[in-house]
Amino acid sequence: MKYMLIIYGNQELWNSIDPAEFAKEIAAFDVFNKKYYDSGELLGAYGVADAAATKLVQVADGQPAVTDGPYLETKEYLASWYLLDVDSEERALEIAADLPSTKFRPTEVWPILHEASRETGVDMGVV
Amino acid sequence: MSSNPGTEDLLRTLAPQVLGVLMRRYAGLDSCEDAVQEALLDAATQWPATGMPDNPRAWLLTVATRRLADIRRSESARRQREEAVYLATPPAVLAGADAWLADGQTPDARDSDDTLILLFLCCHPALSPSSQVALTLRAVGGLSTAEIACAFVVPETTMAQRISRAKQQIRAAGARFAPPEAADRDQRLRVVQQVLYLIFNEGYVASAGEELQRTDLSAEGIRLARLLHRLLPDDAESAGLLALMLLTDARRAARVTPDGALVPLTEQDRARWDSSLIADGTALIARTLATASALGPYQLQAAIAAVHDEAASVADTDWTEILALYELLVRVSPGPLVSLGKAVAVAMVHGPAAGLAATDELADNLARHHRFHAVRGHLLEMSGDSAAAASAYDLAARYATNTAEKRYLDRQSRRAGGH
Repeated sequence: MKYMLIIYGNQELWNSIDPAEFAKEIAAFDVFNKKYYDSGELLGAYGVADAAATKLVQVADGQPAVTDGPYLETKEYLASWYLLDVDSEERALEIAADLPSTKFRPTEVWPILHEASRETGVDMGVV
Repeated sequence: MSSNPGTEDLLRTLAPQVLGVLMRRYAGLDSCEDAVQEALLDAATQWPATGMPDNPRAWLLTVATRRLADIRRSESARRQREEAVYLATPPAVLAGADAWLADGQTPDARDSDDTLILLFLCCHPALSPSSQVALTLRAVGGLSTAEIACAFVVPETTMAQRISRAKQQIRAAGARFAPPEAADRDQRLRVVQQVLYLIFNEGYVASAGEELQRTDLSAEGIRLARLLHRLLPDDAESAGLLALMLLTDARRAARVTPDGALVPLTEQDRARWDSSLIADGTALIARTLATASALGPYQLQAAIAAVHDEAASVADTDWTEILALYELLVRVSPGPLVSLGKAVAVAMVHGPAAGLAATDELADNLARHHRFHAVRGHLLEMSGDSAAAASAYDLAARYATNTAEKRYLDRQSRRAGGH
């Protein structure tokens, strides 16, 4: 079963962390990533750039229009996500609890409902 | 692996036998297994050009032994001491002197023992279920890592990692190439059966679009269950497991529409069920139940599937028989999902109100399980409460984690709600 772990945050939050502490946290994330890549349960780990770097694309009258910034009025933005493939929801929750940031901020755990096939583009039921 | 299905079948049948011989002689699941995989690949690439060798087993064993020597030689910087002993005996001499080769094509008792030991080893309790599944498909099923990765829709590197990790864990657990202790045997056999069932089930839930691309895991589960049944013909649960797979797989063509939508048992076109699979499965479970000393969960589930498969329609189904089988199943293998299945049978025999009452006590355990709400929706609809049925289906759709099921439940909700 595939799950997505999502961490939210904002620049203010990152700035509030002591630089020495921050380096330690990054190292802890590296350990986490290695541990679960090695176990064959982590499919990918991604972090996004600051919200200021985000662009919005819309199509109106067949013409794409690009503007700045995220659409939602929110104080916290998507910061990182992890794609897992594990035996059970329990295991996904266990790994989420092991994520270094979870001791400071909650981590969301989303079951993946479907995935498009690489070969055909056809939706695949994910079990 | 090979364009010729006959060759592929042969290679995959021989794979665990050759691996068994290597394991007995040289030990070390990880390198022996890699050596067999390389030999299989050699056979698949060379045989189409050279033709099949006179004795394919001898060919595979010789090549696998040579490959093992290569693998161990490349590790020799680290492990020179072991190497010296091993290289003292040329592979060709080892292979040629083997009585295993002398007896030609028929697999003997030793091969059967070896394959069974391999199954126990791959389904070692130190491994997680997904690792057990992956290792079993590779070492016993003879599938390549790429094929297994594709079947489970994960990157090949992830699957390779899972398999190599599983081998390390088996080594760390101190497992040897020997049958489990008598005291553990039943427990270990249950794990093997569970792993084969997981493989089958993974394929069974796949929708039509996937079947074109993915290795057919249902067929693979059946192949391995046939193997287990052949190795242990007197084990009633292994027979029950195979019967359950055959009787479930018989409905495959009818359970999804060409565009991948799920069709529930009640609405399936039973003319499209595979009558020869039903005949095989029914005969097997009848034979097994007649002689079994104790009824297990696979036998009972197979018996339930047989009652469904024998009925010409939902109305013709012997629900009293199904309810009686569920009563037994709840006793030997209690659990909320089994009780939920029983609640449906209760409703079909005693009416929807009785069925709904039977689901009430399951709410604590299954409140977030889509199947609980789907069953409630169905029973509410039977009792004529369309509005409540629609909201139960709605809830079921929200908890579903499989696309085909979610779409089906969304449709049910709209239909029951009258729009």
